[in-house]
Amino acid sequence: MKIEILEESDLKVKFILREAPIALANSFRRAMKSLVPTMAVDYVDFYMNTSFLYDEIIAHRIGLIPIKTDLERFNLPEKCSCGGEGCPNCQVSFRLNVEGPKVVYSGDLISDDPEIRPVYDNIPIIELYEGQQLMIEAVARLGTGKEHAKFQPVTVCFYKIIPEIVVKDNCDKCGKCVEVCVRNVLKKENDKIEVGNVLACSMCMECVKNCEENAIEVLETNDYLFTVEGTGALPVKTVMRKALEILRDKAKEMNEIIQTLI
Amino acid sequence: MFPVRCFSCGAVIGHLYEEYKKKLEEGKTPKEALDELGIERYCCRRMFLTYKSVIKEFARFHGAVG
Ligand code: SF4
Ligand code: SF4
Ligand SMILES: [Zn+2]
Ligand SMILES: [Zn+2]
Repeated sequence: MKIEILEESDLKVKFILREAPIALANSFRRAMKSLVPTMAVDYVDFYMNTSFLYDEIIAHRIGLIPIKTDLERFNLPEKCSCGGEGCPNCQVSFRLNVEGPKVVYSGDLISDDPEIRPVYDNIPIIELYEGQQLMIEAVARLGTGKEHAKFQPVTVCFYKIIPEIVVKDNCDKCGKCVEVCVRNVLKKENDKIEVGNVLACSMCMECVKNCEENAIEVLETNDYLFTVEGTGALPVKTVMRKALEILRDKAKEMNEIIQTLI
Repeated sequence: MFPVRCFSCGAVIGHLYEEYKKKLEEGKTPKEALDELGIERYCCRRMFLTYKSVIKEFARFHGAVG
């Protein structure tokens, strides 16, 4: 198993996972999506809301705002020493007290903890008009994507198989496969069919279907092209590392269970 | 109000809305504005293209119904 990074930034990573069974590739994807914890607002107290939007809508909008997460300092509520009641080791609260006319942005949320802030300061939450007031306290905690999508550290996270395209000797160079390939993967060069950018191939099998000589084959391999985009709560590389750690711990736990059974 | 995230893929888009509006006011087409903001997927692009604010409409009737 090998990982080869193609493109990298804090918000987007593209990499190739080589020589891994497909079950592992998929569990890696699922771990990134639903097992890595991040912070999000989960509970909102409304003291005053005279705006045009209902409390629930505002709470929902605030919940979707990604919040910078520090996994070293915070515990999941169920694993915290407070037993899930809420303490500074598992919760951060945000206050907001604004009067209209004004557009309220995510940057207006005043955090208890200067390091734990919304990732973006300019997400509009609500528009207040003359005489309207909003006074709330929002409580953020760690959670996993399993529980609610707002806790997912990644947005787009998918893989596809990188195929192996084989052109056999009975190919008569008619060029039909080149014509039908919508992704322009195949090229006709020096009277030979060449494979260009195999990463772009969607395995649509159009080339195979249209080849009258049955000379081309698109084979599945154990290599996968992953595309992972983050919300900004955690750098994508941290998410990848954390997901692998979680998978390893799960495998260990499974192993122990099996050991006790035999 | 403009959605915080894309309904389909979940990407955060709320922070780009003000910039998008500014670009349109500068006379750019929605296509140019979205390309400059780096919004690739069509699910996220339609969020910008089909957005219509109704909160201003509500404001017109403020006080009329209590
Ligand atoms: S369609 Fe088949 S025979 Fe024709 S060039 Fe392609 S691989 Fe060769
Ligand atoms: S499977 Fe589809 S995308 Fe891939 S080479 Fe064949 S025609 Fe092109
Ligand atoms: Zn606690
Ligand atoms: Zn989208």
